[in-house]
Amino acid sequence: MTAAGMNILLGVILLLLNLTAAADASSQSSPLRLGYLEHPGSALCLAAGSKGFFRAEGVRVRLVRFHDTERGLAALAAGGIDAGAFAVGETLRQIAEGKELRIIAGGGTARGADPLADLDEAATLEQESGGIVVAVAAPPRAPGKEVLVRLVTALIRAYQSLQKEPGGIGHGAVHFDPNPDYRRIERLWRFHDLQGEKRPRDFLANHVYEEIYCDALDRLMDRTGTKDGVLQKLFSEAVCVPDCCPPVAKKRDKNKGGSR
Amino acid sequence: MKRIMAFVLSLTLLAGTAFGANLPKLRVGYVPEPAHGLYFVAKEKGYFKEEGVDVDLFQFGSAAEGLAALKAEKLDVGTFGTTAPLLFISRGSEFTFIGGMMIGGQAIITRPERLAELSGKNLKVYKGKKIGLVKLSTGDVIFKGALKKAGIDYKKDISFVEFGTVAAVVEAVKKGAVDAGLVYPPHFSLAEKNYGLKVAHYIEEFYPDYTCCRIVAHTKEVNAHPETYRKFLAALIKAYKFYKTNPDETVKIYTRALKIDEDIIRNETYVKRVAESNPDPLRKGILDFWKHIQEAGYITQDYPIDRHINTDIYKQALDSVIKREPKDKIYQQMLTFYRKQN
Repeated sequence: MTAAGMNILLGVILLLLNLTAAADASSQSSPLRLGYLEHPGSALCLAAGSKGFFRAEGVRVRLVRFHDTERGLAALAAGGIDAGAFAVGETLRQIAEGKELRIIAGGGTARGADPLADLDEAATLEQESGGIVVAVAAPPRAPGKEVLVRLVTALIRAYQSLQKEPGGIGHGAVHFDPNPDYRRIERLWRFHDLQGEKRPRDFLANHVYEEIYCDALDRLMDRTGTKDGVLQKLFSEAVCVPDCCPPVAKKRDKNKGGSR
Repeated sequence: MKRIMAFVLSLTLLAGTAFGANLPKLRVGYVPEPAHGLYFVAKEKGYFKEEGVDVDLFQFGSAAEGLAALKAEKLDVGTFGTTAPLLFISRGSEFTFIGGMMIGGQAIITRPERLAELSGKNLKVYKGKKIGLVKLSTGDVIFKGALKKAGIDYKKDISFVEFGTVAAVVEAVKKGAVDAGLVYPPHFSLAEKNYGLKVAHYIEEFYPDYTCCRIVAHTKEVNAHPETYRKFLAALIKAYKFYKTNPDETVKIYTRALKIDEDIIRNETYVKRVAESNPDPLRKGILDFWKHIQEAGYITQDYPIDRHINTDIYKQALDSVIKREPKDKIYQQMLTFYRKQN
């Protein structure tokens, strides 16, 4: 897809989604400032706002638009925003440079820009590097876990919604996936040769907070079970550590998050 | 006289406190499953302190939470399944398997009217069936491993429905949404008791001595303080002997610690023997599990997992206990088992 094509697609998405970040009377003292890139892969954030999923999940969000990932990540590092949906390649590069970022969700990847991408793994990974992930600052600056789980739950619901609109943007030239997908990120990490020799083996894993996505998915699975085909597919693709334990002994409060 | 008694008691308490204070401490995490009971026995019978280690037990509601605590060094040791530590290790966590806690324990449940159809000693009865499971649970990985060993192409011949919780699997079996469901203790006992469902098979019937729930610790700590971990495992070896020779008291200890129905604990532990609490590291079992988890597609990269298994410390612990009681049959059986499984 050309840059002009991407801009047109983004314009259409904005029009379709009627961008209005919802506010609600949840317990947050101030809205979570969610940066997003002018890129069709940011559509899950926009849809979650315009379709009221943030509000439905009890999280107040203010969307902040950025023209490029560098400025977005700089704002995240400076505390100007609380979370951001930016290009995964640049986000990984900044993590490798020592920026304290945590990837908590996926987004969308525009496909079709490079006709060789389907035939050449390097071209595919280059294209993937332009896709969107949602990142936050590392604790203690990051929003609380419960807020993040609600945020990602809303993004998954936005994904469900887009997938269920026949002929909508969920079925176009952008591949959406709310899963941060450690395996995909690790492929990109290696492709860009970011591991280096001296870095600890778990360096990347310490920067991908997949548990947030797993908890969000778990929360939605608890609500709908296996009845929702879109959700079931996401669940099948996720690699989440399962729950154990007899129900009488479970400490986890499903209304307050927890993990699998 | 009273004053003398009080003085003696004070001295005893002081000595006890000092004794406890001088022992190396281990913070041990576990999940509340009946077969994890060796920890409670070792604690209650005083085996940890006898062996020279001061253990604090911490209960976790999920393997992910427990391993996150271990990774954050809020724990020194943890028992959180097999899948979860392998996933963490595959992503770079420097954990080492030093022992085990549970062998076997998974069962396939069905509705009573489907029992005859699923009976027999051949896994082929499950071909063409829809089976519910908790994704990435031990049962998921081991059942697929058993099917593969039996020459069944499970990706083609069986339809798996993945659920987030074991309660959801039981519910699906109950409603007939799946033909059978893979569950772990005490859920099949609860499903039998509460809903009249039936156990069609224990996976152990097809895959003897498969690994569940391993004991993991930080590699650097294990290497730095092997003696502390040896003492810890020696206490669990003594707890194993107690569990094998004192069923009534063991059931009471498990029941007090887990607050699960005493009859269910007795039935699973000593009547049906659905799982065994055993501290052996089961190195071969971990390597098999690793192979199955890769075949199932949950871990894609290859990695020399063997470097994260330390059987030496367990063997030293077993040797130290046998040296004190060389003729004890239970310890000799443990030694034979160790030689076979590692």
